[in-house]
Amino acid sequence: MSVLAYGVVAWLFLIGLYGVVTSRNLVHMVVCVSVAQSATDVLLLEIGYRTGGHAPVFVSLPAHPGPAVDAVMQALALTDVVVGATVTALLLALVVQVHKRAGTLDPDALRATRE
Amino acid sequence: MSRRARLVFFAVAAAALAATLGAGLAGLPSFGRQVSAYARMLNEVAGPQRHVTDVVSAITFDYRGVDTLFEEFILLAAVAGISVLLRPLSDEIRELPEDKAPDRAIPPPSPAVWLLAVLLSSLLALIGLETVTHGVLTPGGGFQAGVILASGIYVIYLGTNYRTVERYQPDALLEASDGIGAAGYVVIGLLGLLAGDAFLTNVVGLGTTGNLIAGGTIALLNLTVGLEVAGGFVILASEFLDQTAVIRARRR
Amino acid sequence: MTGVNPFISTSAVIPASVVVPLAAAALMAGFSRFLPRRARDLIAIAVALATTTLTLILMAASAGHPMIYWFSGWRPAGGMVIGIDYAVGPLGAGMASLAGVLASAALVYCWRYFDSARGRHHTLVLIFLAASVDFCLTGDLFNLFVAFELVAVTAFALTAYNAGHPAPLQGAINFAVTNSLGGMCVLMGVGFLYARTGTLNLAQIGQALAGHHADGLVVVAFALLAGGFLVKAAVVPFHFWLPDAYGSAPIPVCVLFAGVMSELGLFAVIRIWDTVFSGLAGGPGPRMRAVLLGLGILTALVGAVMALAQVHLKRMLAFVTMSHLGIYLIGAGLLTPLGLAGASLLVIGDGLAKSALFLGVGVVQHQRASVSETKLRGRGRGLAVTGVTITLGALVLADLPPYVSAAGHGLLVDAADRAGLPWLEIVIALCVVSSSAAVLRAAGRIWLGWGPGESPGPQAGTADDPGEESQDEPDTAGTNGGGQETREPPSRPERIPLTMVLPPLALLAIGLGLGLTSGVEEHAAAAAAAFSDRTAYAAAVLGGHGASVPAADRIAVPPTSAGRVLTDLGQVLAALLVAAIALDRRAARLRRALAAATGWLRRLHSGLVGDQVTWLAAGLALLAALGAAALH
Repeated sequence: MSVLAYGVVAWLFLIGLYGVVTSRNLVHMVVCVSVAQSATDVLLLEIGYRTGGHAPVFVSLPAHPGPAVDAVMQALALTDVVVGATVTALLLALVVQVHKRAGTLDPDALRATRE
Repeated sequence: MSRRARLVFFAVAAAALAATLGAGLAGLPSFGRQVSAYARMLNEVAGPQRHVTDVVSAITFDYRGVDTLFEEFILLAAVAGISVLLRPLSDEIRELPEDKAPDRAIPPPSPAVWLLAVLLSSLLALIGLETVTHGVLTPGGGFQAGVILASGIYVIYLGTNYRTVERYQPDALLEASDGIGAAGYVVIGLLGLLAGDAFLTNVVGLGTTGNLIAGGTIALLNLTVGLEVAGGFVILASEFLDQTAVIRARRR
Repeated sequence: MTGVNPFISTSAVIPASVVVPLAAAALMAGFSRFLPRRARDLIAIAVALATTTLTLILMAASAGHPMIYWFSGWRPAGGMVIGIDYAVGPLGAGMASLAGVLASAALVYCWRYFDSARGRHHTLVLIFLAASVDFCLTGDLFNLFVAFELVAVTAFALTAYNAGHPAPLQGAINFAVTNSLGGMCVLMGVGFLYARTGTLNLAQIGQALAGHHADGLVVVAFALLAGGFLVKAAVVPFHFWLPDAYGSAPIPVCVLFAGVMSELGLFAVIRIWDTVFSGLAGGPGPRMRAVLLGLGILTALVGAVMALAQVHLKRMLAFVTMSHLGIYLIGAGLLTPLGLAGASLLVIGDGLAKSALFLGVGVVQHQRASVSETKLRGRGRGLAVTGVTITLGALVLADLPPYVSAAGHGLLVDAADRAGLPWLEIVIALCVVSSSAAVLRAAGRIWLGWGPGESPGPQAGTADDPGEESQDEPDTAGTNGGGQETREPPSRPERIPLTMVLPPLALLAIGLGLGLTSGVEEHAAAAAAAFSDRTAYAAAVLGGHGASVPAADRIAVPPTSAGRVLTDLGQVLAALLVAAIALDRRAARLRRALAAATGWLRRLHSGLVGDQVTWLAAGLALLAALGAAALH
């Protein structure tokens, strides 16, 4: 169970990196960056998970509620989501302008800063 | 590097990186077996200490409130940055969309679509308000609610047209909401300093657990963050929208 | 917990140092449309200066012992840390002050001749400043990550400021993709450490790991954290984004990047090492030193070689920055207080000099509309003050005494000697001479008209021959609707505005002043000693039994000897000599041979983001292997 759960983290990160490295479209590349970002979210939430646990919200609980999961990791994951969303938005704005100015969306065709 | 060389190089590097991550992940405690003492303690004391039932909110806005201050400013910086990136440049002008045929106006939106937009945006606004005010009780809070509220406004564009949106979304108001939301967090933090404690100390009355008005500054901070996030996301969407609908190359 | 921790501070100056710029940035973002242009510029400059003053106060106040500030009033209880703290020490506060000084200089430079996009540029710079201060002062690992991301987000936007040209946009994309991935690595490292130790506080994590053997998780956590921060610090092989970004960002932004941002990455690596990993069982210090020194030497050499190969002035300065970063890594990587002290003084002295150089290049760009060394040949007439500034800046980079960088260089060399590695001095001298020679060569070509002019090689539109993007966006009037006052189109005024000429001179003057101040080396050594002491830091933060004042070990700082001064002057002369040789017609064959020999290195810097991310993946794996060797 652990192998599968934690394996997802490594898989997401690596497949995201693969997407960025082989991308031929900037929008696709930005989405791959956000896929790699989700690997970190999953890692944080999995670290905080407790089998049989409930969310750290102590309202309307059943009679024998059991343990609660890690609320600190959830707060961290929330921050990570915000960070990821803002970086994605910024990257997309860059892509919009690149398309206008360089006329292409192929990252390998961008030669403006070439040696 | 040629694409082929890059792919081969990456394949080797990725294999090594996979082994690395695997080694690291293998050292983690068994999935679902344990929760840190820190988290267990906070789950137990957050309710009695801060009179809230949503511990995540308490952590975000009280125990680790400074992190959220900077997180909020990440959003502010991103909004400012996107406004900078997508601003009309020296070789562009802003032109409101017009019908190409000169003798007719843009047809109004279909009444069915318009009705759907009104219903949906009202629903989203309601849900957004509920999420932001109940942040201390149930999962939710400023960030989540801000996004929901912002999407309520996107729906208005979908149901009407650009000119309507332009008329009813004054940029000045959105920017002010963004700025006040961010500055408000700082001001509420200063209350702690004024009371002689540290910055961001929860010095407002805590209320009773289970009420809407509870948690002291946690509830207030939820509101300011919601204001900032809503304003920020609407500005964001309108910047992208302007690029598509309005900004054109200047014709000589 | 019995007794009161004497290090806990309730001084309002500590939160004020981030609150002031954040509040100003928020208000500027919200209400800039109601403020006239002069008011926006003035407010931004005033806030930056105020923040600098606050951090300088903190640097002075924390000189004797660290000041620990607990946010939200949550102090540790039952041996467990609950909230987030700032652990203010002179090294961190000094770094934050440097950020403030450079931000102020950059904002003064922006007065009148820079399109601030209705104040949004100032908003971004102030947020950048606040995030840098937070980065330098914080004692919480996740807060460090959040500050890292905030610095990054503002930097991405500022890089692509001249959004009308493809080069800044591409530079920003390369920068944003690689650094975001770096940030993700940092976050994964944070997660791993939390899973092992159950806390996010640096001191407590260090205490939990101390004396234990480093297993796979700890090694990988180190590799991810260090790797992520080294991306920001542009250390080989994570550095490929740096010339693209620094080469195309607007000048005031380059000042911040070159002076502060890259150094922050290095700061974080050393901080994390000193507070978290240095206490691991098996005494990993000497082996980690080898790893860090190796990376530092590689970075310094690659930067120096690439700097010599550039004719694009901003890219050249980008590589000069990278080369010096390698030298700072060598100094800090010695993992001794003396080495760290030397590196800190170099960071300050070189940071001021590099910023002065960028500002000088900015004047040239503004007046002559080009940043190509070959295109500008002989066109320096009429810009005499800027010529002096740039030459002086290059000499300071070569450790001209009595500037403070010479003092730092002296401490670094002494630390290398004490560590039994005297040959490091030769490596450092080589890199310093090469990077200064590159700048001096450019100055000679532009102001004295020496050397060959336009070479037939570079194609238009490439980095070697910057075309339109050499011009920072001039102030556009009225395109954003009402409220903009119109101004005359940017012609070539005869008089260069004082607000562009004075800041670089002021920065160099500060470097000279610091160098002439007696005792600056002792202060640096004491600050570095306090920074490196893990147990004292943990005691101060966690308030253990009998938390006593951590003894700032009296590090014997060698006085500046005549031999030291002569060696530094020798370096300066060597730089001038190499620059002269580079410009001489007779050395054309030598130049061609060198160009052919380094062609492979230049081709590696392709500017393609796919390549850069591949190097990132490889670098992370390599770092993990090296870390395993060092920490086990």
